[in-house]
Amino acid sequence: DVHMQYERVGADVTMKCGSMDWDAAVTWTVNGTDIDESHLNGSYLILKNVSVMQSGQYFCYEGSSWHLKYQTYLSVGTPPKEPVLMCRSNNYPKGFYCSWHLPTPTYIPNFFNISVIHGTKEMVCEKDAVPKNRCHIRYLQLFSTVKYKVTLTVTNALGKNFTTLTFDEFAIVKPDPPESVVAKPVPNNPRRLEVSWQNPSSWPDPESFPLKFFLRYRPLILDQWQHVELSDGTSHTITDAYAGKEYIIQVAAKDNDIGTWSDWSVAVHATPWTEEPKHLTTEAQITETTSASTSSFMAPPTTKICDKGAVVGSGAVAVCWTAGLVMAAYSVLFI
Amino acid sequence: GDSWGIFTFLCAALCNLPALPALNCTEELGAGQSIQQTYDLTRYLEHQLRTLAGTYLNYLGPPFNEPDFNPPRLARAERVPSATVDLDLWRGLTDNARLAANYRAYSRLLCYLRVLDGQVGTAELRHRLAHFCASLQGLVLSIGGVMSSLGYPLPAGPPAPSGAPPASNDFLKKMDDFWLLKELQTWLWRSAKDFNRLKKKVPPAVVTLRLEARGF
Repeated sequence: DVHMQYERVGADVTMKCGSMDWDAAVTWTVNGTDIDESHLNGSYLILKNVSVMQSGQYFCYEGSSWHLKYQTYLSVGTPPKEPVLMCRSNNYPKGFYCSWHLPTPTYIPNFFNISVIHGTKEMVCEKDAVPKNRCHIRYLQLFSTVKYKVTLTVTNALGKNFTTLTFDEFAIVKPDPPESVVAKPVPNNPRRLEVSWQNPSSWPDPESFPLKFFLRYRPLILDQWQHVELSDGTSHTITDAYAGKEYIIQVAAKDNDIGTWSDWSVAVHATPWTEEPKHLTTEAQITETTSASTSSFMAPPTTKICDKGAVVGSGAVAVCWTAGLVMAAYSVLFI
Repeated sequence: GDSWGIFTFLCAALCNLPALPALNCTEELGAGQSIQQTYDLTRYLEHQLRTLAGTYLNYLGPPFNEPDFNPPRLARAERVPSATVDLDLWRGLTDNARLAANYRAYSRLLCYLRVLDGQVGTAELRHRLAHFCASLQGLVLSIGGVMSSLGYPLPAGPPAPSGAPPASNDFLKKMDDFWLLKELQTWLWRSAKDFNRLKKKVPPAVVTLRLEARGF
């Protein structure tokens, strides 16, 4: 007959060859490989200080006839350590979910049982198909003064363990990060970036339960983030970006009144609008000749210097043009 | 901190006294802005309560000041109005019902808190409680003001707290105090959500029409 046995890592295991006498001649194999006689004590197989590597199918054959006398599957593992449990409401006010895992593997099958108690009532946490080790609960009542107590028990063939979480309805609210974060340059504005995003799709009712947002941004070349907190709206224009520098931008969300901030959204990159260097060739030539004579005092010509000159020049011209048009319009009115 | 609360309370009181034809005040505010002010006041009170509750629970001593303390709800504690409500029911509340529930709850909670005020030992606690009661009074008046400006009748006054039997022993008395603070905390969380909903549903334009209809 087939057996199965579970043993702890580091234990000493003695396998008997079924009903065979101690002094019978036998051969043990593991996963098809013969086991050396040095591990035998008569017909008993002795495994000292077993490791996970020694798990497998063990067979015992009678010496001469090679009749199979005994077989067992050995699983070497550990009893479960205290499991890690986390509960969170990313879809307030619909309900919450709990997810769990073991901090270290046991190498043998584990069974989890979760219980949720609210005051005197026991609630059913429905297991999710995917991901595993997760279940969800729907709130029956809102604004409860009574805490929820969630107990997770983990059991395997070598032992059991458990952990408990007790929390208020409001304490576990944490939305998912905002979605579809987009950052775009603003034409003709070298220091602006327009950022927009959407409420996380898991948040069911942003009308009655509005979210507020936290935006952080920095140029790639610097380590310091700049932060903006926004109490409504799903867009924001950054107005103090360094011209021409690539930025990294992220957004986080939080219920307006309760709970904690979400994780940061996926990062987006954007660079503010820069003017096309139209007169680059002529400007560059002029700057180069000037730098040749005053090289010790002037920095080598960069695109920034060229751009600045071009922009200022065209800007001034534009102002003159507009002023002229306005003057003309007024004079027409007074004719 | 202190001055903010007193200022808001005075403003709410002055602007919402029914006797005064304080039309200038309400007209300028509009229900939309009053709702915003009431919302802000609930957030301020929630913040104040955190400090007050910490001090008070320490005064009550263990196990009341332990973070995991999660006692079962005794039947006698039901006299304190509960913010807990069925989700669909809460969603379906009319503006009037929503405001009235808040008004009634805070009026009663204020009564119970005032009774508490008369009994506590330390001067620091008495001072904090008095300050909180003043702010809470401001909130009640603020909610009343919103209701009046929207044309809703104010709910009848709360029953006298002496109607309920007093606690038979010291421990039960402390339990009552514990639950009072818990319900207060939960109501303030709920009110933030109630007033968020009202903000969306009552734009200032609606109020102007109502005032005109009443011949002002």
